Amino acid sequence: MCGIAGVMYRGGDKDFSTGEALIRMLDGCQHRGPDSTGFALYAPEAPGRLKLRFFIDPASESDDESAIAAIRQRLVDLGAAIEEEARAGDNYRVTIRYDGDVQKLSYEMEHAAKVISIGTSLEIVKDVGSAHDVDDRYHVNEFHGTHGLGHVRLATESDVKPEASHPFWATGFADVAIVHNGQITNYWKMRRRLEQRGFEFTTDNDSELIAVYLADKLAQGVKLQDALSTSIDDLDGTFSFLVSTGDEIGYAKDRLAAKPMIMYEDDELVAIASEEVSLNRLFPGRALNTREPAPGTYATWSRST
Amino acid sequence: MVSLDLATLSVRDANAQLRTLGEAGEDVEILNPDARHHIGVGLTAPIHVTVQGSAGYFCAGLTDQAQFNVSHNVGWGVGDNMYSGSVVVGGNAGAIPGVAIRGAEIVIKGNMGSRAGQVMKAGTLCCAGNANFMAGYMMYGGTIIILGDSGERVGEDMSGGRIFVAGKVQDLGSDAMLTDLDQKEIESIHEFLDRYGSKAPKGFSKIVSAGKKLRYGTPETPMRSIPFNTFSGHSAYWNPKVQEDIAIKAQSGRYRIRGYGGARPLPHLSDIGFRKDLTDAGTHRDVVAKVRMETEIGGINGARPLKLSMPVMIAPMSYGALSRSTKYAIAMGSAMSGIAENTGEGGMSDAQRDAAGQLIFQCLGGRLGWNIHDMRRADALEIYISQGAKPGLGGQLMAKKVTPELAQIRGIPAGIDLRSPSRHPDILGADDLVIKVEEFREATGYQVPVSVKLGAGRIRDDIKIASKDGFDFVELDGMQGSTGAGSAEVIDNVGIPTLPAIIEAVEALEEINARDKIQLVLMGGLRDGIDAVKALCLGADAVAFGTSVIVAGGCISCMQCHIGQCVTGIATQDPAHEKRYQPEVEASNIHRFLESVRWQIAAITQALGYDDVTSLNREDLVALTPEAADITGLPCEPPGSDASQRQVGVVS
Repeated sequence: MCGIAGVMYRGGDKDFSTGEALIRMLDGCQHRGPDSTGFALYAPEAPGRLKLRFFIDPASESDDESAIAAIRQRLVDLGAAIEEEARAGDNYRVTIRYDGDVQKLSYEMEHAAKVISIGTSLEIVKDVGSAHDVDDRYHVNEFHGTHGLGHVRLATESDVKPEASHPFWATGFADVAIVHNGQITNYWKMRRRLEQRGFEFTTDNDSELIAVYLADKLAQGVKLQDALSTSIDDLDGTFSFLVSTGDEIGYAKDRLAAKPMIMYEDDELVAIASEEVSLNRLFPGRALNTREPAPGTYATWSRST
Repeated sequence: MVSLDLATLSVRDANAQLRTLGEAGEDVEILNPDARHHIGVGLTAPIHVTVQGSAGYFCAGLTDQAQFNVSHNVGWGVGDNMYSGSVVVGGNAGAIPGVAIRGAEIVIKGNMGSRAGQVMKAGTLCCAGNANFMAGYMMYGGTIIILGDSGERVGEDMSGGRIFVAGKVQDLGSDAMLTDLDQKEIESIHEFLDRYGSKAPKGFSKIVSAGKKLRYGTPETPMRSIPFNTFSGHSAYWNPKVQEDIAIKAQSGRYRIRGYGGARPLPHLSDIGFRKDLTDAGTHRDVVAKVRMETEIGGINGARPLKLSMPVMIAPMSYGALSRSTKYAIAMGSAMSGIAENTGEGGMSDAQRDAAGQLIFQCLGGRLGWNIHDMRRADALEIYISQGAKPGLGGQLMAKKVTPELAQIRGIPAGIDLRSPSRHPDILGADDLVIKVEEFREATGYQVPVSVKLGAGRIRDDIKIASKDGFDFVELDGMQGSTGAGSAEVIDNVGIPTLPAIIEAVEALEEINARDKIQLVLMGGLRDGIDAVKALCLGADAVAFGTSVIVAGGCISCMQCHIGQCVTGIATQDPAHEKRYQPEVEASNIHRFLESVRWQIAAITQALGYDDVTSLNREDLVALTPEAADITGLPCEPPGSDASQRQVGVVS
């Protein structure tokens, strides 16, 4: 039960204030979800490097330094070379050089700590509170990049905690993230089939499934738009979701259109949100020619087009 | 013309100014709307409002007489429940444009979203572009004109009204059919389009209800009813009621419909006892004066609270299920006892409003009888999500009870077997619900408490959502609650009983530290002051009585409420039957019953050692059965133990 937002700026690898844009859009629809807020932010990738973010639980018994030391050690054990590291809010952020299997690294690190995201270009920031609360803690407004997703959450069936909030990173796959409004009713059935094939899930949240489902297709060489097309058939329930990869952004909407979605497109950008009020936050005082995606449809946009 | 700039003004402040300007007859222009929600909600003056830009959800919702012009787009639910007046939208409209309108004219120059005109009763909704799926879904009356294509399943389950489509009719909905237009209809469409400057296309297809689903196929065989108390799980396996059920289904071939509550024995408040020796309860003379019972409900977020003389109110029961005289008697009886009455589904009458001291106005998915004027004169509003007796289902009102007068108030065709929608058109999740609550607050100037009625189901999650969505109080209805008509299978097998409901509700609020952020009113098979005190001890802020009030007012519990020929004149719309009912006499009976409840609450509270009902708490209770102990977590002191010896039935 939530509000979603996504933005992609056209124009290749230039830096845009995507953090600020998403804060505004989410502030516009914060009424849809007061419990937690999150951002998936993409900056141009640095070749050979991976950015990792971890939750360092402030309520944990062990102190932060030893938790971080353990993560560091684990990374080194797995063959990663640490290049840069920093604390941000309750996160530990680290850039590594790593040329091994990302899925193996992801699962190993997931077993050792709470991973938020792994990517060459993706970083996820999410925590309890409003868009402005999360910005105060993590300085999302300073983030410049090419595209990103955002989400405000009203927890209905699972707890209010940072790891249960969106965006969801596709555990095991670099750079794939989703935000979802709705409920996937064949969650366990789909999850068991993916688990049979060796995939791991880190939460019981139905939205994580969408991320892993799509990332699995992408890893098999399926195009994002084709993965979105099959998702409409394969997923049961109500959904309006946005997905992003290193260079694409896309949406899919269920056939009942139970969850709203509206979009705006011009020469500069593509923006999609649950409500027009979020889109208008990017263009105060301007009446926009928006479009409501039809039920049961999907679409993708690429940075390069 | 006055300009209100939303770049500097909140929608709430702008709406307050709009109402004042409306009374002064001043036209208004809204600048920088930036797609914000609730613009113009609750306006009831004949002024022009021009919105320069796009509006969000529920633009012009809950209005009467005003004329709106929006230059660009609107979000979901434009013109929600409008009575008269007009909205012209220059761009596109989101889902459910014209939802539940009762007579306005709404024109969308662009395309419109899904479920246009859902549950509309009268008026005209016109779209110059294409409609999305299920236009006219469950519409009861009025006209939809679509100049583009119809979208899928047009006219799904419509029971009245007409849909005209100039473009392609993609797909007819269930129980919708194509028919011919007459010359008069063509002329009236042309006249309408002329008025709004739209060009009339060459021809139209006309879609109406096929009428196959308006009545149940086979009526139930009337049989001599078996009284409520002669069957239950305790009696023989093939008891008379089971045999009767089989015999009737052998004729009708479908599920049975009946009134009243569940008959299955379930752990209930009677399985709870008091820890203390209550032998002396009620021996004090004038015990009522010694215990503070006044209770305020609904003021927690700043609205004007209900002021109850004791923590008791009347449960929602509809004019429809019950006769007008019965609703009138309950209103009088509740006023005599200083508590609140509830309209239930199906609207508010002047007599009921005047007779009731305090009146809660209930809003259901069909919006039958719902309107801005009665919202304003209500003392509290209640959004019905579901009901304890039949969670997840809408109300049923058999054709016999859908008289022309009742149909007129509800805005539906007379003589149909009415199956009320089980869902609200505009509440598909907690995120939509929060926008709906805000619409009601805007419409009533944040003065009237807004509550939610929840049938006990997924209680833990639902109560948390109710708290997060900003409701002032919850009316939580357990499985033992009654109904005017429901499927017998559902009544006996579906809900969650009242006892676990209150336990889970209180736990859920404690889990999110919200016990003081929302109030709980418990209902569902509560019978007297003893049950009321137990509910208060378990954490309810107040309780509500439905069936016991009906019984106090003359009901003989024959369970034939759905038939419409109630011999006592209670559950009927037939004047010949209704005239047997004497509202003044029954009001006094209801009042006396409520006073016995007051006396019981006071006597037990005092015997427990308190002088204020708010002191009642869990520590005052024990469980009398292992099941009740499991459900409540109270210590189990079964009959035969000391505790059971201590428990006494307090008789007034």
